[in-house]
Amino acid sequence: MTSIQSTLGEDDGGGIAEELAEGQRAISIAEFFEKNKHMLGFDSGARGLVTAVKEAVDNALDATEEAGIKPDISIEIRESGDYYTLIVEDNGPGITREQIPKVFGKLLYGSRFHAREQSRGQQGIGISAAVLYSQLTSGKPAKITSRTQRSERAQYFELIIDTDTNEPEIQVEEERAPGESELSPTHGTRIEMEMEANMRARQQLHDYVKHTAVVNPHARLVLDEPGLDEPRRYERVEGASLPAETEEIRPHPHGVELGTLLKMLTATESYSVSGFLQEEFTRVGSKTADKVLNNFRDRHFGREMGWSVPRSADVDVESAVEDAVANKGAAATATFAERVADALESRERTTHADVTEIVDTVAEDVEDEFETTFGQTVRENAVEAGWDALRTDLVSDLYALVDDATSTRKDDATISGIAERLADKFRDGDPRHRATRDTVRDYVDRSAEFVVSEDVSFGDTARENVVEALWGAMRTVPDDPPKVRAVADDRDVASELLEAMRETDILAPPTNCLSPITAELVEAGLKKEFDADFYAAASRDAEVHGGDPFVVEAGIAYGGELEDGTVDLLRFANRVPLVYQRGACATTDVVKQIGWRNYGLDQPGGSGMPNGPAVVMIHVASTNVPFTSESKDAIANIPAIEDEIELAIREAARDLKSYLNKRRSMQKRRKKQDVLGTILPEMADKLSEVTGRPRPNIDGALARIMNNVSVERDVDGDSVTLVVENHSDRAETPEITDIVSAEPGDLPDGVSVVDLDDEWFISWEPSIPAGETAELTYTVSGDAEFDVDVDGIETEKLTINA
Amino acid sequence: MSTKQDDELAQERLVELAAEFYDQFAAGEVPHMDIPTRTKSNIVFDEESKVWVYGDRTSTRSANSVRGARKLLKAAYAIEFLVNQLEESRSSTLRELYYLSESWDNEEAQFNSQDESNQLIEDLEIVSKVTREDFHMRPEESGATLMGPLELREQTRRGEREIHCQKDVGEGGYQIPNNPDTIDFLDHDIDFVLCVETGGMRDRLVENGFDEEYNCLVVHLKGQPARATRRITKRLHDELSLPVVVFTDGDPWSYRIYGSVAYGSIKSAHLSEYLATPEARFVGIQPEDIVEYDLPTDPLADSDVNALESELEDPRFQTDYWTEQIELQLDLEKKAEQQALASRGLDFVTDTYLPERLSTMGVL
Repeated sequence: MTSIQSTLGEDDGGGIAEELAEGQRAISIAEFFEKNKHMLGFDSGARGLVTAVKEAVDNALDATEEAGIKPDISIEIRESGDYYTLIVEDNGPGITREQIPKVFGKLLYGSRFHAREQSRGQQGIGISAAVLYSQLTSGKPAKITSRTQRSERAQYFELIIDTDTNEPEIQVEEERAPGESELSPTHGTRIEMEMEANMRARQQLHDYVKHTAVVNPHARLVLDEPGLDEPRRYERVEGASLPAETEEIRPHPHGVELGTLLKMLTATESYSVSGFLQEEFTRVGSKTADKVLNNFRDRHFGREMGWSVPRSADVDVESAVEDAVANKGAAATATFAERVADALESRERTTHADVTEIVDTVAEDVEDEFETTFGQTVRENAVEAGWDALRTDLVSDLYALVDDATSTRKDDATISGIAERLADKFRDGDPRHRATRDTVRDYVDRSAEFVVSEDVSFGDTARENVVEALWGAMRTVPDDPPKVRAVADDRDVASELLEAMRETDILAPPTNCLSPITAELVEAGLKKEFDADFYAAASRDAEVHGGDPFVVEAGIAYGGELEDGTVDLLRFANRVPLVYQRGACATTDVVKQIGWRNYGLDQPGGSGMPNGPAVVMIHVASTNVPFTSESKDAIANIPAIEDEIELAIREAARDLKSYLNKRRSMQKRRKKQDVLGTILPEMADKLSEVTGRPRPNIDGALARIMNNVSVERDVDGDSVTLVVENHSDRAETPEITDIVSAEPGDLPDGVSVVDLDDEWFISWEPSIPAGETAELTYTVSGDAEFDVDVDGIETEKLTINA
Repeated sequence: MSTKQDDELAQERLVELAAEFYDQFAAGEVPHMDIPTRTKSNIVFDEESKVWVYGDRTSTRSANSVRGARKLLKAAYAIEFLVNQLEESRSSTLRELYYLSESWDNEEAQFNSQDESNQLIEDLEIVSKVTREDFHMRPEESGATLMGPLELREQTRRGEREIHCQKDVGEGGYQIPNNPDTIDFLDHDIDFVLCVETGGMRDRLVENGFDEEYNCLVVHLKGQPARATRRITKRLHDELSLPVVVFTDGDPWSYRIYGSVAYGSIKSAHLSEYLATPEARFVGIQPEDIVEYDLPTDPLADSDVNALESELEDPRFQTDYWTEQIELQLDLEKKAEQQALASRGLDFVTDTYLPERLSTMGVL
């Protein structure tokens, strides 16, 4: 290519470029996707149908929820000759006449793209891409009917997308009365698309609808397709409310990039950086803004190193300050000098800024007391004198810092050497001894380089420790940070601000922009669609990635009717099931790397998808879910999100583990009880044969062996006693119902009797500590019959002999 | 044979044991029995009887676990079997009991190995304080023999027999019955009792006429001696006031043979008083004999070293003599068999070694 270009170029000046330019023109987005259908999930007829269903249903759910309506969505797939017709209908708020063509007939048209708020759709591509796909394959327009809540009549459109302009081309537009319209609910939207398709991806389609039902327990879905005897219905969980309404949020300081920050700085109306931070970001109040500003100062100005007043006799701060002050009267000067000297001497460490502040304070006090004025020059001189005194012996202070920061193995000569070199660096550097962290590191490196020889080492850790100690001893300067305008104009300064923002601990973003399903409803959703023995769910707290908060939820269903084999993984993003590209998804990667054996599931080789009759579901909700592609099939491997996915799964898996452990221990217990239940009676029989006595009652012994709760009845004439012995290692509260065929009397307080058709139900709920016994005695006449029923204790742990 | 009284006592004790389990059941308790722990660390020296008996540590066989429950079920079946056997005045061998359990209606009660049934009989012996001979349980004949100037009367199943253990027996000697308490000593001309570990050495002594020349009763231990062999040795010592000496190979396993004759074995420490002859003394082969007589040797195997070291910690061997000998052997790293003496000629053992050793010990 290059070679042709150059040859042509030699022949004929710039003519080729002009020639080429004739063929160069803008490409409409619609045209682009026409050629790149796979990027949106329309790569084949089978998949195209699933994707179209998915886009239409996602839209329907978003629309109904936003209007606060519990979604009722029907999906119908019809065979029509060589084509399939897809009809999706919702009970949403409807779309106004003006909007309908744009929503369905223009790619990248939507309300979501700019909002930091959780929603299913984000880019505004999905449904119009489906329309585009249908028109490209069948040549037929999409038919849309919509009726808004207040309107009497429905709007009917037939439209296609003009791929050259990415604009809707309306072919039919009518207003229809409810009778004429095919839309069944009183309000909502119906879309009908005819497309080249096939039902080879039936399983994926069913999965998509079923999984949608799992994460949208508040929705009712109906699916009808060729080959079904009757439509599949997915009912809503009773009492499941609509997802909490979400709110748009401002960006979070941890999540912006430099370009965005610069854009925001240019656009803001704030004057100060503090105002900018509080105005434009979420979770930034004045305190947090101050913290950010201090970090910003440290980066922008550096910190100041402070020193102590040397203890040696030749440093006399008082006289130095006194000498620096002229013409202020002896008494005032003396008092001023004394107070400044006292203040400096009493401090462990004083920076240049501190000296300035001290001098100012003392000067003002003395001015009041002596009614004289300490002007700017005098104060500056005094500061200079004080600062000079502080600077006389840097080495001792530095020696103490370096000595503290290094291990005891460093000898004295090394430490003094470092301290002396460092003192030189400070002296040669900024007069106020200001330095950024990088500068300090440079000081330390250069000093260490100087000292290091064959016998003396001063490695990276030691250097880092010294830097840390020096930086810790230095103080943030009080200078005003640059204004917004200045920051916006200087990329380097803006980058300092960004670093300061990222460094500061800031509360995670508010989560009202997200609507997690909640652990409770995740469990309810799983229960609704999977017939299992055990369900667990976990919903994590919100975290932030790239300024977008996200929440990860996980659920596990186990046992029951679930099929054994590789565990089924259900993936969701913003309540939308992800059906394709499972292998490319972060959720899959996380599930595979968890050691499931720890949680009681089989995992060949200790990694990879676990085996067992289980379903694992993961839901990632975010204002901006990072997908690997526009077709939104797989979540990208973002470490922060992967970490949360792992934690959520582990949380749910811990419950699974304790369930499985308990189940195993119950199985073991049942087995033990079964074996002992045969051995001990046989032993008792033998013993009664040998001793010639009647067969002994072994229930007590058995209950004790099994650490069970035993319930026994003693009947002595008219007096009946129920004895409950708790042989387990914790307190138990059995709910005992004794059903008696005659009316019982003399019951103690707290025990109730109900008469039902000549049967008396005595309910007694004793609370029995481990190893103790409870008794209930009552009277009943004559030959009453008894039947006891015990609840609240696993049957495996119960021995009843009553 | 044992007396009627003994049988009744044994039967009574067994039924009592069953009743104990029964009462535990009836009281709602978990059935269990406590048995002294049968390990090296739980034997103590009884000053009075001068033998090693079990200490205070006990192990519990309890129905708390499936394993424990199975053991107790087997115990109940075994008790019934033993009671019936005593009632019918029959007897059986330990091995028969193992096979007999196969015929029990309950598979859970059947023994999995003979070790298990043997152990159960030992348990029952201990808790009922009745010996297994009194249960009419016997081991397989061990085949141990006596040879020497002793006349005795044995109550056999076919009547009383009077036997002289030199004149009335063949080269093989008199075979010790399973229950030596059925023997009465009538007369003897014995100066001392010589217990010999191996058959080869026993035959050598008899062939060389050592028993006749020295008026010695040669007891063939046949390796680790059976209870009957130890019992008759004890009776010879106690009833006829005869000195007893033990002649074995020079290796750690043989010292244990001496130990069980003299001090009692760990497995049957509950019967030490009845079986052990604390006055029995060790002739050799001593580790120092290996040096003294320059005997052909084998190197110590790792298992030998371990066994020697474990003997150093065995309470039964905590004497200066044994500590010195065992440490010497660990230094030498060698062991020698009795037959190694043949390297100095077939008569060396009877002409030189034993007379020398026995003189040193003051037996001759």
